[in-house]
Amino acid sequence: MGRGEGGLTVDGTAVEAAAPTARRRRRFDWATPSLLGPPVGWLLVFFLAPIVYVALYSFHVRVLPGSAPGTALSAWHLGTYLPLFWKSVQMSLIVSALVVLVAYPLAYYLALSGTPRKYVLLLVLIAPFLTSYLLRVLAWKVILGDQGVVNWFLTKTGIEAAGHPLSFLLYSRFAVMLVLGYVWLPFVALPIFVTLESLDQRLLEAASDLGASRLQTFRRVTLPLSLPGVVAAFLFVFIPTVGEFVTPSLVGGTSGYMYGNQIHDLFNGGFPDWQTGATLSLFLLGVIAALTFVFVRFLRLGEARVA
Amino acid sequence: MEGEPLDSKLSRREVLRLAGFTAGIAVVAGPAAACGSAAKQVAGTTSTSTAKETGALQVLDWAGYCNDMPHHAMYASYLKKYPQNKPAFHFMTNESDALGKIRSGLKVDLFRPYVGWVEYFASSGLVEPWDPSLISNFDHLNPFMVKAGQYQGKQYGIPDDWGFDAILYRKDKVKPAANSWGLLFDDRYAGKIAWFDDLEMITIAGMHLGAKDPWNQTSAEQSQSKSFLISKKHLARTYWSSETDLWQSFGAGDIWIAYAWPNDWVQMKAKGLPVVYMHPSVGKEKPIAWVGMFMLLKGTPRPNLAHAYVDSWSAKPSAVWLENNYGYGHANTEARPTSSDLLRALQLSNPHAVGLPNAYLDRNIPQRATYAKLWEEVKAA
Repeated sequence: MGRGEGGLTVDGTAVEAAAPTARRRRRFDWATPSLLGPPVGWLLVFFLAPIVYVALYSFHVRVLPGSAPGTALSAWHLGTYLPLFWKSVQMSLIVSALVVLVAYPLAYYLALSGTPRKYVLLLVLIAPFLTSYLLRVLAWKVILGDQGVVNWFLTKTGIEAAGHPLSFLLYSRFAVMLVLGYVWLPFVALPIFVTLESLDQRLLEAASDLGASRLQTFRRVTLPLSLPGVVAAFLFVFIPTVGEFVTPSLVGGTSGYMYGNQIHDLFNGGFPDWQTGATLSLFLLGVIAALTFVFVRFLRLGEARVA
Repeated sequence: MEGEPLDSKLSRREVLRLAGFTAGIAVVAGPAAACGSAAKQVAGTTSTSTAKETGALQVLDWAGYCNDMPHHAMYASYLKKYPQNKPAFHFMTNESDALGKIRSGLKVDLFRPYVGWVEYFASSGLVEPWDPSLISNFDHLNPFMVKAGQYQGKQYGIPDDWGFDAILYRKDKVKPAANSWGLLFDDRYAGKIAWFDDLEMITIAGMHLGAKDPWNQTSAEQSQSKSFLISKKHLARTYWSSETDLWQSFGAGDIWIAYAWPNDWVQMKAKGLPVVYMHPSVGKEKPIAWVGMFMLLKGTPRPNLAHAYVDSWSAKPSAVWLENNYGYGHANTEARPTSSDLLRALQLSNPHAVGLPNAYLDRNIPQRATYAKLWEEVKAA
């Protein structure tokens, strides 16, 4: 169809070629591009462009002047860093799973117990957000240190001998996972709470009317329907913690060193190695994207089964 | 915040004052400029040149030496003389961080790497030599350290603070088998040791293992150093990169032995801890000495202000303050701390304290990128 020969209306029906110009102008729907434009532009500028920029460094297309010589794929031999990556994934998976397990009953109680104070309790749950992230992490050093609150209590109660503190409490994988769990608990509880609160109560009543016990109702109605919230909550923790570097650098010590620390140190350590740092960043991004895809796919399958 | 100038915003009143000041200078200095008097100024007569240089002096320096320094002690005389050109600070966490920031476009007038990086930066094309005649205190600076700041006969680095890399330990808890770097790798103190988070650990391991030149190890020596560090990594409870982290963990008793600097010893003594600052001396082992070096960025628009700033740092009152408060030595040979303990520990009466036979002055690492990679691999292992 040539210029001025008519077009399609919003519902797809053809109109006459001789339609007035003013009417043709009205036919172009500016609403969609104007609404989509800013967010798409934002993503292009602040998400896609930085990734492309990082990729250019990773493949040695862009080079920080003075860097060690390299080739396009020289940084992609990741053998040295894969064990560290796997260690970080393991730590993150454990933290995410445990936090979901702890947060679910909390969210369940708040959403479904019918307590009139649920929003007050919710506020209490997210109260730690009122202080800085750094302060919350640093506070754990006071609690977990060799002369910290926990070791002091254990010594005073005679559970441990004086002068033999539990050293694994601080500067260890345990410390990193404990603090990450503490920090991310509210992030997990909130999406689960929202999902549970929006459950159609009539389904629960129907299950009860049909003779299901509370456990059966939970297992066959509540849990499957809240699964999207659980998976979202799990991803909320897993994605940021697998690349975490602030918490391990504060409480992790040598054994709690994570993949995110490695990336940070490659950019800022003894000699800048932006190519390897960029490569590790891209690898992390790719793996996280793939895992997220798998999780979402699993979620859809679960939803289909419930339906 | 890291990377942001802290004092770079001018109020409207300051802008008007600056504009008036600049206009006044233009009227007064205009004819002189027209006569082409662009000759270098000598110390004490730089006011005309510095007045032509506008804006805040951009300084890239370590935390603790910027606006966070009590009373702005090291550059108080500069502030007094050039209130219109207060320094705007950018923080560097190490030389590599500084290199990354400068390479990626951060515009600063001067920065302060340590002596081991002088050759690297001087040969990188990023910096230009200083004119010592513009630094009135230059003649009071330790000639040995001044020489360490030279590259191809030009003064690329102006020495300022100095100290040692050595070992700090609790004498009530630790009984060293010898005065050796080996204390950082002592199985008896597993979980009570802190290493420094830097490629210098490769140098230290090389020195401990008897490498011929720890700063320029052969491939075999490098592999040996790396394997050694990996095999001993479980003994180290933490790596430290910020002194405050070290003070916190050492002060809390989580750590008994640490790679440390003189100031850490001062801080732990101030906390009442029974600490020893041990200089390794077994075999060819020695402490590694370092000297801070101001370097001037190439093409800076404020070279005279940068010289004035460094002159302020080099003055005796600044130097004495640094020694008394930070526990480091200062290149100004006239400065003496009030503490006799510190005087002895830093061997301030010995002008060659940072050189042989007392210590190895830190030096350029020709394979720095390789060392950095090895250290990252140790941490990743």
